Amino acid sequence: MADLIQLLTNGLALGSVYALAAIGFVIVYSATGVVNFAAGQFVMLGTFAGVATLVNAGWPLPVGYAGALALMALFGLLFYAVVYLPLSKSPVVTIIIGTVAIGITLQNAALLTFGSWPFRLVSPVEGMMLEVAGAVIPLHAVAVVVATALLIGLLWLLLNRTALGIAMRAVAQDARTARLMGLRVNALLAFTWVLAALLAGIAGLMLGPMWFADVNMGDPIALKAFAATIIGGFGSLPGAIAGGLFVGLAEVLGASYVSSAYKDLIAFGAMILFLLVRPQGVFGERIQDRG
Amino acid sequence: MRSVLVLAALLLAGLALSFVVSEYTLRLLNMAVIAAVAVVGLNFAFGYAGLISLGHSAFVGLGAYGLAILTTKAGWSPWLAAIPAVAGTGLAAAALGYPLLRLKGHYLALATLGLNVSFGIVAANWIELTGGTNGIAQIPGLTLAGHRIEGERTFLWFGLAVLAVLGLAALAIHASRLGRAMMAVRDDETAAAMTGIDVTGVSVAAFVLSALYAAVAGCLFAVHVHFVSPDDFNVAHAITFLSMLIVGGEGSVAGAIVGAALLTFLPEWLRVLGEGYLAFFGLMMLAILVFLPTGIVGLARRWRRPVRPAASAPGGARPGVQP
Amino acid sequence: MNAAMSAETVLAATGITKRFGGLVALAEVDLSVGDGEFVALIGPNGAGKSTLLNVLTGLSAPTSGHIVLDGRDVTRLPTHRRIRAGLGRTFQHGRLFPRLSVVENIMVGAANRTGRSESALRRHALAQLGRMGLEHMADQPISALSYGNRRMVELTRVLAGEPRVLLLDEPAAGLNLGEVEDLMARLRAIRAEDRVAVVLIEHNMGMVMRLAERVVVLNFGRRIAEGTPAEVQADPAVLAAYLGEGAAHAGH
Repeated sequence: MADLIQLLTNGLALGSVYALAAIGFVIVYSATGVVNFAAGQFVMLGTFAGVATLVNAGWPLPVGYAGALALMALFGLLFYAVVYLPLSKSPVVTIIIGTVAIGITLQNAALLTFGSWPFRLVSPVEGMMLEVAGAVIPLHAVAVVVATALLIGLLWLLLNRTALGIAMRAVAQDARTARLMGLRVNALLAFTWVLAALLAGIAGLMLGPMWFADVNMGDPIALKAFAATIIGGFGSLPGAIAGGLFVGLAEVLGASYVSSAYKDLIAFGAMILFLLVRPQGVFGERIQDRG
Repeated sequence: MRSVLVLAALLLAGLALSFVVSEYTLRLLNMAVIAAVAVVGLNFAFGYAGLISLGHSAFVGLGAYGLAILTTKAGWSPWLAAIPAVAGTGLAAAALGYPLLRLKGHYLALATLGLNVSFGIVAANWIELTGGTNGIAQIPGLTLAGHRIEGERTFLWFGLAVLAVLGLAALAIHASRLGRAMMAVRDDETAAAMTGIDVTGVSVAAFVLSALYAAVAGCLFAVHVHFVSPDDFNVAHAITFLSMLIVGGEGSVAGAIVGAALLTFLPEWLRVLGEGYLAFFGLMMLAILVFLPTGIVGLARRWRRPVRPAASAPGGARPGVQP
Repeated sequence: MNAAMSAETVLAATGITKRFGGLVALAEVDLSVGDGEFVALIGPNGAGKSTLLNVLTGLSAPTSGHIVLDGRDVTRLPTHRRIRAGLGRTFQHGRLFPRLSVVENIMVGAANRTGRSESALRRHALAQLGRMGLEHMADQPISALSYGNRRMVELTRVLAGEPRVLLLDEPAAGLNLGEVEDLMARLRAIRAEDRVAVVLIEHNMGMVMRLAERVVVLNFGRRIAEGTPAEVQADPAVLAAYLGEGAAHAGH
């Protein structure tokens, strides 16, 4: 029982990180139609933005976090201008390869800057443990789950209760009409990329103390975020959350109860099964075949 | 006819190079030829039928592992082992194709990506069969009429011969009923069905053809390197194959070969830039995608025919379907 | 009415109903086409004409009803098998394969007649193009054709498949007057040579009246009239459908 509680908490914490990565991926996809294969590198950069401010520059925690997120916002803007705008009119496959290519650049730029030696990012609640029903749980895992829940709440408020969020959704649904209505579509698209970069940044900062900060961490995260998105439903925010939590739990519980070698096969097996049986995922809208 | 000549020119260029370049360049040329076989195959699925596959290196891996296992564990000759390795890969593609190819666009891309990841996980963990992450070593090389196909130069001649046969076969398919049907399916599935084309059947055929070529590439890889491991067939390689096809020019056999050669050599040429060469490589790829959307073959075509034939009637200005 | 029962019927659709959610696009529609007959299908926009073609060709499954082609129930067959069984269709704005040349487009259309060698296939395609007066464009890319020629190439592609029933979805839309005259002359010639039955959806009433032997009128997914062009023209229900309910009431 104590084991199970511990595993569930760790699974939910990891799942929260995947969920945030998946949400960033989905927000970008809904608004711009871009299937961002560099999404995993966004999270990696988030972790290393933290490494830069907290470890290398040695800033105190709140300042370091703020600095890292400011770097990520800047990165989102840069990505919008340098990658999204030139590729935005290209076919799906060109965008896929283009974001993969830029992912290679990001990964190797990080390698050049930080080297291949992994870093350890310290949690604000480093070393603190919580005891629940006989189970000892790292406080960081609980904090990650709580912070993610808060963040999702804030995101919901932003998208549903603010003029900015409603304008973003209008652009996502129909950019041409939104433009005719006088919305500043380009600014809103740029903000979408900034928001995605910020979410990935937070995911990266939370992941840093759970994994070692390694420049190669982007690809596995991207694959998990894709699986989460398909399972939850492509383009659906609740789907990204549910899918992320499922993939995190499957990974942690699968490693413990099934086989640590095949733990990832559960998530990808579920993803392929969903694609074949229910490609719209759990929360996605029905894919209509009407012309 | 022109495409046969272009293919011949490319292969002869490879042959000529085999006499003048260094051992190291010969090795890269061999890698390029093996990749070219895989990419000419991928051209059936993506270039002709429009199926975005990020699982191509799993099929290369199935062929390579098939040959590796049959030669090292069962003691078969590599020639004999290649037959079930390639045929089995084709069967696997057919079995996967029917359910999978109902998906389109990025759904198919992610599904095939998931397949490739799953292949890697199985290959890394089914240790009794695959040797796990240690891979399978000491795969025997080929012998032809008493001569061992060993050494980079000899192997390159053999590889070019294989590429010539498969390239010609691809050109023949391109100009056949099946080739036209694949292109019709990519252009317009509904209109294709309306001419009596079995869209699913043709898509699966394209997928199986691409897997067969991939498996041959895998067999070549196994008998060239004498070693296979899961990392040789991961998603990064699948993405590289697709990049090669797009950079060379999708829909063209020559484009597939040029793309495979260029993206094999480009990272090596960029090594002079020092440690950051892969970062530069990514940016360069992005620039190629943005500025050369039809690839190098498309550029050559534009250069040859600078002005497109104008519409022959005023009605031509109407919104029509453009390639 | 019971032409569907007669021996020479090539295409008979009976009781076709198609619902999209709560919307009834077609309600119990019957349509039968005799061997070599020329039937026009008319009705206001949104009457369900294109939906009926989609159901007949298998692009969309009917909620209920049956389709019999040449004595064989094809209701459950996928599109390509219906085409091979003798159906042919053009699209509202013409849909060609832009990556193939003109003659290759025709060869795709002819390929479902199996057993032809590659060279025979090409000869057949060139002959079809010649019949339509298009042989000089055989090796052109589709992008070089005018809109009118694209539509003629599409028609040629369908004919190359030697259908027994040809379904034409507004073939004259977007054509200029000369092109419409040309199209009508071609359609007459085709019927004389091929003995193919035609179902024509068309808004150009002049064309319908001059070509059709029988006219079927749809409105709001129902068949409201059927008869010779003259009969249909005189039918008050048809007038009401085209002019709106107000006119019908005014007539009473």
